[in-house]
Amino acid sequence: MTKSILLRGAALLIAAVSPVMICAQFQQPTDEELKMTADPKAPGAAAVYLDIQEVENDPLHYESFYMRIKVLTEKGKELATIELPYLKGNWKVGQIKGRTIHADGTIIPLTVKPEDLMIAKNGDLQANKKVFALPSAEVGSILEYYYEIHYDDDQFSSPWWTIQQSYFVHKAHYQFTPFKAFMPRGTPGTDTSMVLEDRRGRAATALIWWPRLPAGVTVKTSVNGSYSVDVTDVPPIPDEDWMPPIGSMLENVRFYYSFTNNGNEFWAGESKYWSKDVDRFAEPSPAIHDAVNGLISPTDSDLDKAKKLYEAVQALDNTDYSRKKSASEMKELKIKEVKNAKDTWAQKSGSSEDIAMLYLAMLRAAGLQAYAIKVVDRDRALFDPTFLDFDQLDTTLVALMTGGKEIVLDPGEKMCPFQTVNWRHSDAGGVSQSAQGITYSITPPQLYKDNVTQRLGDVFVDAQGGVTGRINIVMNGQAALHWRQRSLREDDTELKKEFDHEELEGQMPDGVEAHVDHFLSMDDPYTNLMAVVNLKGSLGTATAKRMILPGFFYETRSRVPFVKEEIRQVGVDMHYARRVTDEITYHLPDGATVEGAPEDANIPWPSHALLVAKSAGQPGQITIAQTLSIGFTFAKPDEYQDLRAFYQKVAGADEEQLVLAINRTAQAGPAAPTAQTSPSAQAVPVGVEH
Amino acid sequence: MQKRVSVPRVLAVAGCCAAMLPGWQFAAAKDNQEGLPQWALDAAKTRTPDYAKDSGSVVLLDEYVETIDAQGRALEREREAIRILEPQARNESCEVSYDVDEKINYFRAWTLGADEKQYQAKQTDFYDEGSEEEGMVKDIPILLETEKHRIVHPPAADVGATIFCESEELLAPWEQEKFWQIQSGISFVDEALEIDLPEGRNFSASWHRFSPVKPEEVAPNHWRWEIKDVPRLDLRDVKASLEWEALAARMSVTWGDAAVHGKDDEWRAFGAWYANLEAHRSDPTPEITAQAQQLVAGAPDFYTKLKDITEYIQKKIRYFVIERGIGGYQSHPAMDIFRNRYGDCKDKTTLLISMLQAIGIQAYYVPVDDRRGVVDPDAPSLFGNHMITAIEIPADVKDPRLQAVVATKDGNRYLIFDPTNERTPVGNLPSYLQGGYGILAAGSASQIVALPVLPPETNGTNQTGTFTLSPDGALTGTVDTSHSGPEGADYRLFLKYTDEKERREFWEKLIAHDLPGVVLDSFQFVQPSDLEKPLEFEYKVTVPEYSHAAGPLLLVRPRLLGDDAVPFDDKPRKLPINLEATGRWHDTFNITLPPGYVVDETPDPVDVDAGFASYHSSTTAKGNVLHYERDYVVRQVEIPADKAAEFRKLESAILFDEKGAAVLKKQ
Repeated sequence: MTKSILLRGAALLIAAVSPVMICAQFQQPTDEELKMTADPKAPGAAAVYLDIQEVENDPLHYESFYMRIKVLTEKGKELATIELPYLKGNWKVGQIKGRTIHADGTIIPLTVKPEDLMIAKNGDLQANKKVFALPSAEVGSILEYYYEIHYDDDQFSSPWWTIQQSYFVHKAHYQFTPFKAFMPRGTPGTDTSMVLEDRRGRAATALIWWPRLPAGVTVKTSVNGSYSVDVTDVPPIPDEDWMPPIGSMLENVRFYYSFTNNGNEFWAGESKYWSKDVDRFAEPSPAIHDAVNGLISPTDSDLDKAKKLYEAVQALDNTDYSRKKSASEMKELKIKEVKNAKDTWAQKSGSSEDIAMLYLAMLRAAGLQAYAIKVVDRDRALFDPTFLDFDQLDTTLVALMTGGKEIVLDPGEKMCPFQTVNWRHSDAGGVSQSAQGITYSITPPQLYKDNVTQRLGDVFVDAQGGVTGRINIVMNGQAALHWRQRSLREDDTELKKEFDHEELEGQMPDGVEAHVDHFLSMDDPYTNLMAVVNLKGSLGTATAKRMILPGFFYETRSRVPFVKEEIRQVGVDMHYARRVTDEITYHLPDGATVEGAPEDANIPWPSHALLVAKSAGQPGQITIAQTLSIGFTFAKPDEYQDLRAFYQKVAGADEEQLVLAINRTAQAGPAAPTAQTSPSAQAVPVGVEH
Repeated sequence: MQKRVSVPRVLAVAGCCAAMLPGWQFAAAKDNQEGLPQWALDAAKTRTPDYAKDSGSVVLLDEYVETIDAQGRALEREREAIRILEPQARNESCEVSYDVDEKINYFRAWTLGADEKQYQAKQTDFYDEGSEEEGMVKDIPILLETEKHRIVHPPAADVGATIFCESEELLAPWEQEKFWQIQSGISFVDEALEIDLPEGRNFSASWHRFSPVKPEEVAPNHWRWEIKDVPRLDLRDVKASLEWEALAARMSVTWGDAAVHGKDDEWRAFGAWYANLEAHRSDPTPEITAQAQQLVAGAPDFYTKLKDITEYIQKKIRYFVIERGIGGYQSHPAMDIFRNRYGDCKDKTTLLISMLQAIGIQAYYVPVDDRRGVVDPDAPSLFGNHMITAIEIPADVKDPRLQAVVATKDGNRYLIFDPTNERTPVGNLPSYLQGGYGILAAGSASQIVALPVLPPETNGTNQTGTFTLSPDGALTGTVDTSHSGPEGADYRLFLKYTDEKERREFWEKLIAHDLPGVVLDSFQFVQPSDLEKPLEFEYKVTVPEYSHAAGPLLLVRPRLLGDDAVPFDDKPRKLPINLEATGRWHDTFNITLPPGYVVDETPDPVDVDAGFASYHSSTTAKGNVLHYERDYVVRQVEIPADKAAEFRKLESAILFDEKGAAVLKKQ
């Protein structure tokens, strides 16, 4: 008899919420536990897990979970609410028991029946959750509960133990008894004629596991064929700004029923299927050849050919940016599901993945050497080869081989210029086709010079400190791509509001209001994108003899990152390298002269980042410029103190002021520009390297 | 009732008891292969009005027909036509909500494509979702509902297309009021509401922020209201605004007990309905009585008794509930709440009433909304999202600690108290409730009551800082703050839901707004268990580069911490201005200057009194100490739009003062 392995997604749904175990016997708390008011192992924590037990028994088709939690603060009381998600149908939440034990030892059992709430339902697939709250939870209480999940006899599941929790864990025990076929031969009751198959129909002949565990902790096997892990003193999941996707870094153990007992073989096998699918989808059929021949000329260089084809696929309807047609709509329109590149081209429409594969087909039809690369979206996760699930790779890129070099292209990203890759797909791990076969690969990182934003402006100051002016925000690289992609999903009015909100609000000095007037070159990814911003308000503060203005018009205030974080547990992920230049020319009121200006500065973090500030005065005006270059994407925890020291200096430098001496006998302000002028857009830089 | 998913904030309920609104309903999809119905074809002929052209979409038609049976139960049909104008509306959908006791009879959707092609949604275009969880604490929900939503994404919903949805739903038997949201996040061209009543059954309609429209009797006791051209309400660029729900036009029609004439009688009927719904829920059990008597044993006066009971509810009853059907309105029995030690706002009120009753004090339910302006005295309705308590004050009790007092028409005095707010002491009132309205549900004495606006002395912060500036511009110092009233309560709540690390992060971020690069050397909250006493906060900071040399000068901003200025603009103002809270905020900062420097200039003093608020500040130099002091007093929670000029003047003055710098010169 052959049975399918339970879909991993079902197991994930549960694992996401609950760590886990067996043995419905509650424990008698110790005096020490009852009296505990704080935990020296978790200073300041709202709660700690005293005990976690999770047991999976696949032969018996059940899982059990047991938790014991000590509430240390008011916030910790919220752990008295428990949600147990499950898939309706093949899964059932069985026995639920719970109780609250007060610090004086009083026990209040759970008597309220858990509520069964729908999460979502689509066709026959329905996810529900059981919800209950332990009674009378107080600071000092111990919360204790146990529940079981049973699944159908024809369902099988290997567990994924999430070791780290939101709060410190004192002790945890995990135990897994696998499907009979993976228990030691001769173990009573393990004879079976059943064979598990994966989704490709391969017989599962091995049980493998990948632990990411603290030093000294291992997965233990027992003589009866079960597996267990015991851990103590597990720190909570880190919660820091600018973290890499943390889900990819947590301590866990994953078990797999697999056709192989070797991880590399798994990836080789899965990649082979993937590569075959790619080659089938991207088969340069006659229709693709015809299309390519109509788009390129034989005399074009390889790069020109590639670019022309790139433009052709970019011009198609990318449904990830417009709207995916529903099944009923496709039926109504008699449109077939896309099965290969020819279909995508014929429909002039497809998802990002479809379009990337079409592009690959077209390059191949043009006689160019090109391969598919499959990576993880770095905004979501990091590639983890120990996570034996090919579906973690979610993005297809194309590698073009020309002139002895590999050029990575991102045709599925609408508005992404040729040879530019969305940062989510750069420095990203995955697998790649190549002349040598299929290999692990990491895409190239972003370079700071490719992601430049310049904020160039003229600010006209009157004698009372009021200002009017205009700033041109010139963007290329990732910032331009971001706003261009947003423009595909929003109209101009909405886009301007969003830009005001995300790029201007909170960055203008207090009292100054700035709004985008219009964008230039929004539709042309090969030109710098410009946002033309009008501003007005009150900027300076006047005294009897002087006026004081912020030296650097853009205020970073508390937004300078890292200044407040003294210590760091995990590395820093800046997403991509970049450079931002601010260059503002203040046009002074009549009679005003510069009495003090921000000092020129050069603040380096060698090989990583640089802040340069410079000012230059002329009669009636002063230009102040600042450039912050971030040349790194990731910083390791041991680099953190250097990084923080750099940003502390940046924060301090930002607070420099401009002091004007005012002659109150001459009080007219300078003439503000008309709406069409944008002088600083063409202004000569004042010495800051651009 | 259908609800457009993409419409922002339409009847979105936040706050304590999200399900105080009758449930939206559900529907079942059928794969009927019908073309567009005639009503849809007619609606499709509607021209896109100019006023909608900067919107993502426009509602061409939204029509409700409520058919009421002899028992007062409603069958609701809704038809809706939405034209998609811009890309952001491409995924426009329709939604029907349903709860226990409700049934969707049908739910259909069609699209007329930009190319005039017709589509009908199939079963695969529909899906169901549970209600969103309201309120989360570190990913743990504190309020869940049994209500579900059926959603359809009509096919081919591209720019230029018009989608049509039609549903019919049998509403819950206890729903006897229809809330008609006339105004939304997108504009309406045609709107209609019909109510078809059995012979002899009355109705009563009320209007909020909309001139009443007379209904037409289209058949015997079958009434129709029609409205055209209602622009969308978009508050994203409106500074100091009231909540969207308070400003959006709506109408309410009831066919239940409140279908009477005269606003007072309507409010009375709503209050009586509510009191009846909760009848006996608050009956004290022997355990509750014993607990209440134990709590007040030895209490010397009325106020102390109240304090003992209310603090028990505030501290011991955790906020958590799953609302099922009428549970959106009706609390659990007091004995269950007492046993489980958790509940929502209605539950907390029920247990409070029960415990007070056990010691001989009478108290009542007061349905309200925690968004000031939503409950409208001129629009009788059950529309609201929260429940608080009115505690009857005996005639002989005159205690100045009882601040939040209302006097009713019959001469009774009630203390208004919010037991869900775990940190505002009895006698005071959270700022979000001040200036609003609530229904005193006291049987035949039920009425609408104006919730009090408390004097500035009941709320605010006193902040004192002592600093030393070094010649290199570094600033070190100590700050002591004292937060009282609702503001103190907010801080206490912040402490409840954060751990040490989060508090440090939050506070450093807050201070860094004024003092970039600041390092929080140490901090300490002193939180007296007595809620009446202010929360104290002491901290020490170092700012490596606070003061900057500008040539021979050193610039020092004497207003070191705190932002009193409210962002405002110079656009013409039509909507009321929200001042949020009354209170008094006082700052005193002393900065010892570095040796060798003298003060060359100080910012001018500010002295503004606009009536609704005042602001005074001064900077003086005495010896080597720069002294800054300011006093900000707010006396009203809301002012009308015609006060915008005064408000602007006040805010400009505050902003000017906050940015002001003293200039130091080297001797």
